Amino acid sequence: MSTEQAVRSAIQTHSKRVWRFALALSGASDVADDLLQATALRALEKHHQVTSFERLDSWLMTICRSIWLNEIRARSVRKAQALSVTPEAELIAHNTDSETNIFATQVFTEVMQLPEAQRETVMLVFVEGYSYREAAAMLDVPIGTIMSRLSNARQKLKTAMQHDVADCVRRGGK
Amino acid sequence: MNFSDETLLAYLEGNLDEAEARAIEDAVADDPAVESRLMALDPFAPVVQQVFEGIPVEAPSIDLPTPTAPQSNAGAFRLLAVAASVAVIAISATFWATRPKALGWAEQAAIYQSLYSPDTIADLDNSPQKLDTQFAQAEAQLGRSLNRDVLENLPGLDLKRAQVLMFKGKPLIQIVFADAQGAPVAFCVIRQGSGAPAKDVNLAVLSGLATATWANDGYGFMLLGSDAQTDFGSELSVLTDAFTG
Repeated sequence: MSTEQAVRSAIQTHSKRVWRFALALSGASDVADDLLQATALRALEKHHQVTSFERLDSWLMTICRSIWLNEIRARSVRKAQALSVTPEAELIAHNTDSETNIFATQVFTEVMQLPEAQRETVMLVFVEGYSYREAAAMLDVPIGTIMSRLSNARQKLKTAMQHDVADCVRRGGK
Repeated sequence: MNFSDETLLAYLEGNLDEAEARAIEDAVADDPAVESRLMALDPFAPVVQQVFEGIPVEAPSIDLPTPTAPQSNAGAFRLLAVAASVAVIAISATFWATRPKALGWAEQAAIYQSLYSPDTIADLDNSPQKLDTQFAQAEAQLGRSLNRDVLENLPGLDLKRAQVLMFKGKPLIQIVFADAQGAPVAFCVIRQGSGAPAKDVNLAVLSGLATATWANDGYGFMLLGSDAQTDFGSELSVLTDAFTG
């Protein structure tokens, strides 16, 4: 397989993950669409740089983040560190169980309202399953920074989840 | 330092004091095993993961430019590759079982080359960077120049790839070209050692391919056409001039 073919197939294989990460970075699904498209084209241009077909996923994530930071964030409407509005909560797949939906929407909103550094770290580690070490390499920060960002994020999520679980239990009369 | 699951969980829930938390973070930085344990115990990760994994519901659409190289059907190509390796095994096994005498490098190289089809080489990345790497590797193995400038300017042939093979512990370099119809043509060089006899150009059909072989200064050379009828013209004289030892 040529590097170009490998990159093309990685783009298709990981399109959902890159889009999801782009959504978490930008907070808006239209920006995520653009970011994914720009990431795919950039990756294809750089296919000659690929030396190993392993971990093309993290390579795509890194390209996506770098396009966001260097080219899109500045002109994006939402410049604030934390996303100020409740973004795109309708993206949550609707279950038949409304309590599950409320909980999922709550967690989604909490994650999206984290400061950007915590948000991208949570996405890479909790959602995409990268190790602390891998996330540290991708975000170019020490591993200790990854852990402290996650600790801070957990504290915020914990509060939100406890409230929410309490609400559900109360309403369910259990 | 050894941490219990309870201690790690207390860290994840934010219930340790700063010194204890720092001790765990230092241990994670030093030891991937602690990192794995801590990650596996994290009660927040699966919750967040579950919420996000369904987003987006459908794979987003991406507009990609059409491939630069003519693209063969990937599925068919894979099948072809499998068929080719099965064929290599079958042919090698047949030859091994019925071998009249040990095959020489030229016969072996011809068998290998006879399995090439236009599809085999259609998608090869022959960017200058790629060829730089391949030629550096091949020349290092071989211990002599491959006259890349000559190979890049052979009439009617487009240089596609140089790869290092081995024949009985000797480096055998296969350089493959596409002819004007896209059919594979190859030039092989093997290091035979300083004692090997020099040989004049010998034309033969091997494994259904027209070949020309010669040897000098401890190296063997072979040009292989795309079929039995390939009529070597100027490329053969250019090569015999360039590879005189």
